[in-house]
Amino acid sequence: MSDRLPAEEVPEAIRGYLAGKTPGATAMVLRNLHRIAVGWSHETWLFDAHWNEGGEARSAGYCLRRDPGNALLRDLSDLGVQHRTLVCLDRTDLRTPRPCWHEDAPNVLGAPFIVMEKVGGECPNPWGREGRRFYAEAAERGVLPESFADTLATLHNIDWQAAGLGFLGVPEAGTDQFALGEIAKWRRLIEASGHGPEPVLTDLIGWLEANAPVTERLALVHGAYRTGNLLIEDDRISAVLDWELQVIGDPMYDVAYVLSDLNREGSDLLSNLVPRDVFFERYEAATGLAIDEEACRYYQLLYAMRSAAFWMSASGLYRDGRSEDIRLARTEWSIPVVLDRAARDLGY
Amino acid sequence: MNRSDLLARMSRLLKREVGPAVEADYPKTQAFLSAVVLERMSAELRLADAHSQAGAADRIALVADLDSDLVDAPDSIRTAFLTLADGGDSALCDFIEALYGEREALGRERFDRLLGRVRQDLRREIDRRMEIAA
Repeated sequence: MSDRLPAEEVPEAIRGYLAGKTPGATAMVLRNLHRIAVGWSHETWLFDAHWNEGGEARSAGYCLRRDPGNALLRDLSDLGVQHRTLVCLDRTDLRTPRPCWHEDAPNVLGAPFIVMEKVGGECPNPWGREGRRFYAEAAERGVLPESFADTLATLHNIDWQAAGLGFLGVPEAGTDQFALGEIAKWRRLIEASGHGPEPVLTDLIGWLEANAPVTERLALVHGAYRTGNLLIEDDRISAVLDWELQVIGDPMYDVAYVLSDLNREGSDLLSNLVPRDVFFERYEAATGLAIDEEACRYYQLLYAMRSAAFWMSASGLYRDGRSEDIRLARTEWSIPVVLDRAARDLGY
Repeated sequence: MNRSDLLARMSRLLKREVGPAVEADYPKTQAFLSAVVLERMSAELRLADAHSQAGAADRIALVADLDSDLVDAPDSIRTAFLTLADGGDSALCDFIEALYGEREALGRERFDRLLGRVRQDLRREIDRRMEIAA
């Protein structure tokens, strides 16, 4: 951590890096550079670069994500994988930020980072008052809810093999490998967290392993498809963001996340935005898949395990002195909330 | 003033005086969430004895109830059961894992009965924790 570039030195380091990546550019300057306070896993910087090239003034907007070295999901969210995923997705119909560069070596910013083109649009926080109002008004107009469903269908319709996404790891279709693989992944995070034994979680994991569904059709799964992870422009989704949890697996895993009431703060609208019937109708028509609600109920319990793993990992980072962010300490008391809900879903 | 009340006072100070006075987003969030953490810790201290006693009583009853139903249970379950009385949450996790591991051998009805009895205790324990976390 001592080698990390201090935040105040980041702008000049980025400017020098961009100048080096833009042959023939002179007078490179950065404007509107600011760090945005979203997400817990990476630092995100937005800025506009302006330069002269061949006697002409040029400019471009960028988004930079830097590995913070100690944040939530750090070990499961490699920036190289994110960049490679975006490179693959750039060849598909899905709207995603265009990837520019990935630097794994720490000599530029003191930590690995990726640079993407800045995409137009906004990403209101669905948990805040303004965000809830934004999505409620968009729901009234009716365009964005359809875009939400259509975009997930586009994502699940991607020919992931042709796009080169097989590097993410491919479970065997017609088996329970996908669900068991996810359970194993989150179990590793739980074990790495150093959190004490949790009998309800042990029960939940036992149930999940005993009831893992067979995945018939494999798709690219985003892993956190909801408002707040989608950029919106003119009532349409302009980019799917946060490529940190993607896997090749059961598309119902994403659908379960959409259907979950965890993401809608008491609203009847899925993800605070989409009427349930609109989502079902458009998603099923566009993918040719029938939404399997039983599988979705299973995956919602798998999300409970994942949430418990997140909060154990987060609170562990604070407890171990690897983070000073009190938001992480607060998550210690999110664990029983998640387990209470899981227990109710298991029938007790 | 006991430690629980002390933490509760500090929490109120952060929530009512410090947090609102901070301008910048990040430290403001840190102040308010510090208040939440102190509030939770205060509740934990306040309820610690009552929860500990209730948990211990539950465990004694659980062991007594399970004992008669495990006479001819698979060895892994019997072994896990031996530490259940004094082994805390770790022992309970081991016992639950043993139940799932021997699910087939136990048969559906017996597995459901044994796990159902364990789940009664899990429910009570999570209810106690929710008194603090909710």
